[in-house]
Amino acid sequence: MRSLRTRLLVGIIGGMMLLLLAFSLIIYTVIRRALVNQFDASLAATARILAASVEYDDDEIELELDVQMMPEFQSLEKPACYQFWQHDGTAVARSPSLGTDDLLLFEGSLGVPVFRALHTRNGQPGRAVGLKFKPRTDGRDDEQQPTKQQTLTLVVARDVGDLYYHLRFLRWLLVIASVGTIALSLLVAAFVVRRGLSPLNSLAAQIAAIKEDDLTVRIGSENMPAEVMPIRKRLNDLLSRLEASFGRERRFTADVAHELRTPLAGMRSTLEVTLTRMRDINEYQASLSDCLAISKNMQAMVDNLLALARIDAHQMTFHRDRIQLAELVNSCWQAFLDKARERSIVFENRIPAEMSCQSDRESLSMVLSNLLDNAVEYSNEAGQIWTTTHHVGDRVEITVANTGCRLTNEQVLQVFDCFWRGDSSRTETGVHCGLGLALVQRIIKALGGHTAVEVQNGGIFTVRLTLPDSLPA
Amino acid sequence: MRLLLIEDYRPLQKSLTKGLREAGFAVDTTGDGNEGLWYALGNDYDVIILDLMLPGINGLKILKELRAKGRKNPVLILTAKDTLEDRVTGLDLGADDYLVKPFEFKELLARIRALMRRRYQEKSPCIKVKDLRVDLAAQQVWRGREKVQLTPREYALLEYLAMRAGQTVSRTDIWEHVYEFNSAASSNVVDVYIGYLRKKIERPDKAALIHTVRGRGYILGAQS
Repeated sequence: MRSLRTRLLVGIIGGMMLLLLAFSLIIYTVIRRALVNQFDASLAATARILAASVEYDDDEIELELDVQMMPEFQSLEKPACYQFWQHDGTAVARSPSLGTDDLLLFEGSLGVPVFRALHTRNGQPGRAVGLKFKPRTDGRDDEQQPTKQQTLTLVVARDVGDLYYHLRFLRWLLVIASVGTIALSLLVAAFVVRRGLSPLNSLAAQIAAIKEDDLTVRIGSENMPAEVMPIRKRLNDLLSRLEASFGRERRFTADVAHELRTPLAGMRSTLEVTLTRMRDINEYQASLSDCLAISKNMQAMVDNLLALARIDAHQMTFHRDRIQLAELVNSCWQAFLDKARERSIVFENRIPAEMSCQSDRESLSMVLSNLLDNAVEYSNEAGQIWTTTHHVGDRVEITVANTGCRLTNEQVLQVFDCFWRGDSSRTETGVHCGLGLALVQRIIKALGGHTAVEVQNGGIFTVRLTLPDSLPA
Repeated sequence: MRLLLIEDYRPLQKSLTKGLREAGFAVDTTGDGNEGLWYALGNDYDVIILDLMLPGINGLKILKELRAKGRKNPVLILTAKDTLEDRVTGLDLGADDYLVKPFEFKELLARIRALMRRRYQEKSPCIKVKDLRVDLAAQQVWRGREKVQLTPREYALLEYLAMRAGQTVSRTDIWEHVYEFNSAASSNVVDVYIGYLRKKIERPDKAALIHTVRGRGYILGAQS
């Protein structure tokens, strides 16, 4: 049963039906017993009156006339009847209403009435009382010891049609009352359940109203019952998380767009200005070189972005390779030779030639290139860059350090954020769009290592990569 | 007309400076926020073209500082940030215009000219002084039906005089609005260029257009 409403209704109504049935049975039984007892008591009273009015003498039985004229024996429709037996079972007297029929003879101990259900002459249900008693005798025999012969048995039977009629009426009353109660309860319960569940509908409506382009809305607590509050809270928490995540995504996209727009603007304006008039060949050459440089920078940025996206989507594949670190650093440095010379930066590769590490060559090369590029960019004029390695337990630590860092210790913690730059602006070349260190951190994480940065006294900026000596499985 | 370009992205700075100079503007350029603010406070630029993300001090702070100091020079914000919020923030801080990168160079020129006309309360893109016509949009000059060929510097000088036609314009004003910061300073360079201009636009058979006001400067057209 999926529907909460149906479940509640069936539960409530089912429970009520059972309770009503049980209570009806109890009520019926109690009332029936009370009525039957009352009937029996009146039957017994009649029997006692009859017994008291009997005078027994010499096998003759005399009944007082006024007793015989009691209304129950005179009734034409449903007359009561009686019969007397001697203790040897000989019938000695019977009521006129009995005609020649016999009643069933039954008795208890002396003076104790016994009751039994039976059918009357005309086949109607009835009840009878059997009473064994000692009849009065003549005054003459008063002194004689009572003998066995002196006990008589009296059975009085009466139609119970009225009683049964009343009981039938009671049964119907109970059935009708129960059915009516259940029907009304069904209506009331349906209403109450609907009202009770309406906060769920309102919750559903509120959730349905949340649009994917506006995650700032939250589900209100108005008219919300305590039971639904935890759901509301969880949903709102989920919305907050989604909003934050979408916000990050949006900011990232905006940052990417922003970072691409600036070099695009540079390229477009270079081309447009160049095309405003005829120029000599040197001017065209200079403009084209500028545009080529810009497009290379943009390509580097797009490559970094793609690498970031691949890492985030776990699409990076690694090839296990034993890498000579000193050699790899030297080959990465080749790309920055000119720029370093231009800025009179001294580079020193302090990694021992035999130092090696098992990792993915391409990824590690990307990491080192990014770090060296960064170092050349942010090192002071005529500054220094150096690389070192150490074994730390079974791990390899690679450091890339440069002089001339102006970042504070607080700012250093932000260098891994995408698009963060120390001076809140791009550098003159536009190459460093703040993706480099974010990329480094994620690649190293994917390689099973971790990245740390620090600024020491004197502005020495150090990036410390700790890598396992083998790729994670 | 003299512009200040504060833009730190070197290729854009280089091409814009070149393009604007070729369009007849005197352009001072810097890529640093602090230097930009110093330039802007030191000269009465006709338009300041301002990037927002700058090393040193950012563009919005420069704008705030300028307006706080009561400087009313038109400011055109040039930025890659294009959200409504960014635009509103910029304009609310007192920017006169907003252009999102990448943009068309022609549009930048048109917007700069519009800002200049507004500054000199000149609605029409074509200024007429007697039968001299200066078409600010096409940067062309006509005397009667005859087109006058001017060098960019001469045109810049005439344009400035035309914008302030009927007013006495001092040599210092001309120096500040037509020449760049790093132009070779020479006491009579303005007079020399006025001489060149006179040769090209004056006609012997017509009344003079450029008048010398002794000890004060020059006037284009009749004194108002």
